[in-house]
Amino acid sequence: MREHPPEPPGILHVDMDAFFVSVELLRRPELRGQPVVVGGTGDRGVVAAANYEARVYGVFSAMPSARARRLCPHAVFLPGDHHHYGEVSARIMAIFGTFTPLVEPLSLDEAFLDVRGSRRLLGTGPEIARSIRARVLDEEGLRCTVGVAANKFLAKLGSQAAKPSVSPKGVEPGEGVRVIPHGGELAFLHPLPVRALWGVGPATSRKLERLAVRTVGDLAALPLDAVVASLGEATGHHLHRLAHGIDSRPVVTDQRPKSIGHEETFARDHHRHDTLRRELVRLADATAARLRRHRAAGRTITIKVRFGDFRTITRSSTLPTAVSSGPSITRVAKELLDGVDPGQGVRLLGVSVSHLVIDTGRQLSFEDAVAAGWDDASAAVDQVRARFGDDAVVPAAVTGPAGLRIKRGGDQQWGPDANPPAEP
Amino acid sequence: MRFRCERDGLVDALGAAGRAVASRGGSLPVLSGVRVELAGDRLSLIGSDLDLTIGVEVEVAGEADGVAVVPAKIASDLVRSLEAGAVEVHVEGDEAHIAAGRFQSSIRLLPADEFPRLPEPAPDAVTLAAKDFALALHQVVPAASADDARPILTGVLMAAEGDGLRFVATDSYRLAVRDLPGTSVLREGQSVLVPSRALRELERLLGAAGEVTLRLGERDATFEIARTRLTTRLIEGEFPNYRGLIPSTYPNRLTVGREALLDAARRVRLMAREATPVRLSMSADGLELVAITQDVGQAHEQLDAKYEGTELTVAFNPEYLLDGVEVTPGDEITVETVDHQKPAVIRSTEGSEFLYLLMPVRV
Repeated sequence: MREHPPEPPGILHVDMDAFFVSVELLRRPELRGQPVVVGGTGDRGVVAAANYEARVYGVFSAMPSARARRLCPHAVFLPGDHHHYGEVSARIMAIFGTFTPLVEPLSLDEAFLDVRGSRRLLGTGPEIARSIRARVLDEEGLRCTVGVAANKFLAKLGSQAAKPSVSPKGVEPGEGVRVIPHGGELAFLHPLPVRALWGVGPATSRKLERLAVRTVGDLAALPLDAVVASLGEATGHHLHRLAHGIDSRPVVTDQRPKSIGHEETFARDHHRHDTLRRELVRLADATAARLRRHRAAGRTITIKVRFGDFRTITRSSTLPTAVSSGPSITRVAKELLDGVDPGQGVRLLGVSVSHLVIDTGRQLSFEDAVAAGWDDASAAVDQVRARFGDDAVVPAAVTGPAGLRIKRGGDQQWGPDANPPAEP
Repeated sequence: MRFRCERDGLVDALGAAGRAVASRGGSLPVLSGVRVELAGDRLSLIGSDLDLTIGVEVEVAGEADGVAVVPAKIASDLVRSLEAGAVEVHVEGDEAHIAAGRFQSSIRLLPADEFPRLPEPAPDAVTLAAKDFALALHQVVPAASADDARPILTGVLMAAEGDGLRFVATDSYRLAVRDLPGTSVLREGQSVLVPSRALRELERLLGAAGEVTLRLGERDATFEIARTRLTTRLIEGEFPNYRGLIPSTYPNRLTVGREALLDAARRVRLMAREATPVRLSMSADGLELVAITQDVGQAHEQLDAKYEGTELTVAFNPEYLLDGVEVTPGDEITVETVDHQKPAVIRSTEGSEFLYLLMPVRV
C-alpha cells in the first residue's frame, strides 16, 4: 500500500547512561574514572546503580551491595540521594518536553517520546534524537542513549543496542543513537535472542527453547497457532506480534501538558516597552500555533520577565473562557507587560498559556463568537504555514528592518546568536 | 407588642419575609432575624440581607403596638409546627412569647435598634398583569449566570425597547430575550440590571397574583404584589452588547414541531452523559438527533422537519437546548444556524416576542 518513501521513524526511547552514578560524579568529579556504586551501603543493601567502570567487574543493579563489594573491593560506595536525582530528572524531562508534549516517563532516567508532530519544526526523529543528546549533555553534563523507531518496543531495543558496552577488557562507548528505519525492523529484530522480547522471562524462555526458538527470528517463523498452543492465548498473541515488530501502544503522557509557551533570551537587554511588545507578539503567535497544533486552548495567560540581574517575575491573568488565537493571547500579555517597568533592562521574555482544555467537546461561548474572526483567521494562518512555511504569514509586528523574525520551538538551543538584529 | 392571629397567615408571612434573610451569618447578626412591627391591626414583617428585602403585611387582632426582631428560622419553624387556629404573640423585655392552645414558648429576640434602615421605594410606579410578567421571567431568568465571579451576568437586563419592556439574560453560553410590548416602565434608553436571585424569588410570589407594581429607582427596584413588597439592589455595570451577538441573517433554517423536538431531545439526552453534546443533523430529509457517549451507548431519533439551507450537523449541550425550547411559545419553532461554531437562534413561528440564542459545543 505504501507508495511514498517512508519518513524516518518518530518514536524515541531515551535512556540516561548510568544515571544515578553520573549525577553523583557531577558533584564528585574527583571520582571520575574509578568504579562507583550507588545504593544501600548497609549489610542488606542492594546496588541501585553502578557506573561502567564498576560494571566491568560484574557489578550490576539490584545485586546485594555485599556481593558488589566482594567483586569490586576498591569501588567507591555512595548512598543514594533520590531527592537530588528526582530534581535532575525533572529538568531532563523538561528538556524532552521542549521537543514534544508527548513525553511518557518510565522512571527517573527513561522516557518514550513521540516526536512525529514536531518533525516539521524540529527535524526528523533521528535529528531530534541527536539534538536531545546534545542538549542533555550541554545543560546537565549527562549522557544518554536514544533509540528511534516506528514504535515503543523497537525504540527501546534500539536504545539498548546503542548503549556503551562492558566487557572484561573495559568500556566500549556506544553509538548513542540507534535508528531502526522503516523496512529495517525485522533485519534488526530477528537476530536478537528471544529473551530481548518484552514479556519473555525465564519460564517463557524455557518453553520456547523446547520449540527450538532461540532468536526472535525463530519465533517469528513459527505459525501463530503453535505459539499460542505453547504459551497460551494472551502471551502467544503478544509475543507473535512483537516478533513481527508490531507494537501499537501509543506514547501516553501521564499528565497532559499543564502549560504551553515560548520564551526567549535576548542577545542584548531590552529597555523599552515598544521593543518588548513586538517580541511579545512573536512569542504569543508561536504559543498560539502550538496550542492549536495540540488542539488545546487555555484560560490563563502568563508572562515571564527576567531582568539583567537575573531577577525573574511572572504576571498572569485568567480569562473567563479558553483562548487559542495569537491576538487574544497578545492582548492579555500586553496588558500584563504594561504593568512591568523594563527600565533596568530585560534579558528574557516568555509567554505561556495554562489551564488548558481540549478544544473539542468544549462548550463555546459568546466570547468565542466575538473572537471568531480571529479563530477563523488563525485556522487559515495555520493552513498557509503548513504549506508554505512559518514565515509565509506573520503578525505585522514581527517584521523589522532586518526582515522577518519568527519564533520556532527549539530556537536558541545554544543561546542567542552572536550577531543579533539591532534593537531599533 | 401583643397580638392574636391565625396560624396559617403568620406562617405564610414569616416564610415570605424569611426568604430574604441572610443565609450566611454575615456581618450583621440582626439580619438573621425578621423585623416585626405592629401598628393597630396591621402587622408588618421584613427580612433582608441588604441586597434583597422582602416585606409582608398581614391583618391581626392587635392589642399593643411595638417592634421586635425574631430569629427567622426558629420562629418560622415553630409557628409552622402549630396546629391550625389562633396564635397569641406578645413581646416582653428581650423575649417573644408564642402560645397556641396548651403550647407555650419564648424566643430570645435580636436587638431591634440594630436592624438597618432600608431604602424607600421609588415613587414612580407602573402596574402590569402579573401573568405576563411571570411568563417573561420564566423564559429569561434561567439563562442568567450563577457564577458570582461575573456579577454582571448574574443579572437580568430590563430595558426600554420601542414602546415596551425588554428582558435579557445571558451566561455567555446562551442568551434569552423577551419583549413585553406596550409596557412602558422605563424611559427611552433607560435600563436596569436586576439580580436574577431576586427575580427567582419574585417568580415564586407572582404565582397566584393578579397584578404586579414596579418601582424602578436609581439603585433599587421594588416589586409589589398585593401586600408583599420585594426590593432588590440593582447591579451596577455595563451589560454586554448582546445585539452584536445576534447574526442578522442565517443561511440555514429548520422548522420543527416544538413538542416533538422536546420529547425526542429528552429521550436522546439520556445517552449524552459526562458533558457530551447532542448533535442535530439537519438536511432536506429532516432532523436527526444523535447522542453518543463512549463506553455508555448511543441513541438517535429522526424527526419530521422542514429544512432550508446546506446540510449541517451542530452539537449542543442538551440542557441548554431544552431550556430554550421549553420556554419558546407556540406549536412550531425555528432553529436558524450559520455553521457548527456560530450561535444558533431559536424562535417561535408564531411571534417574535421571544428569542433564544445558543452557542454550540465544538466537535
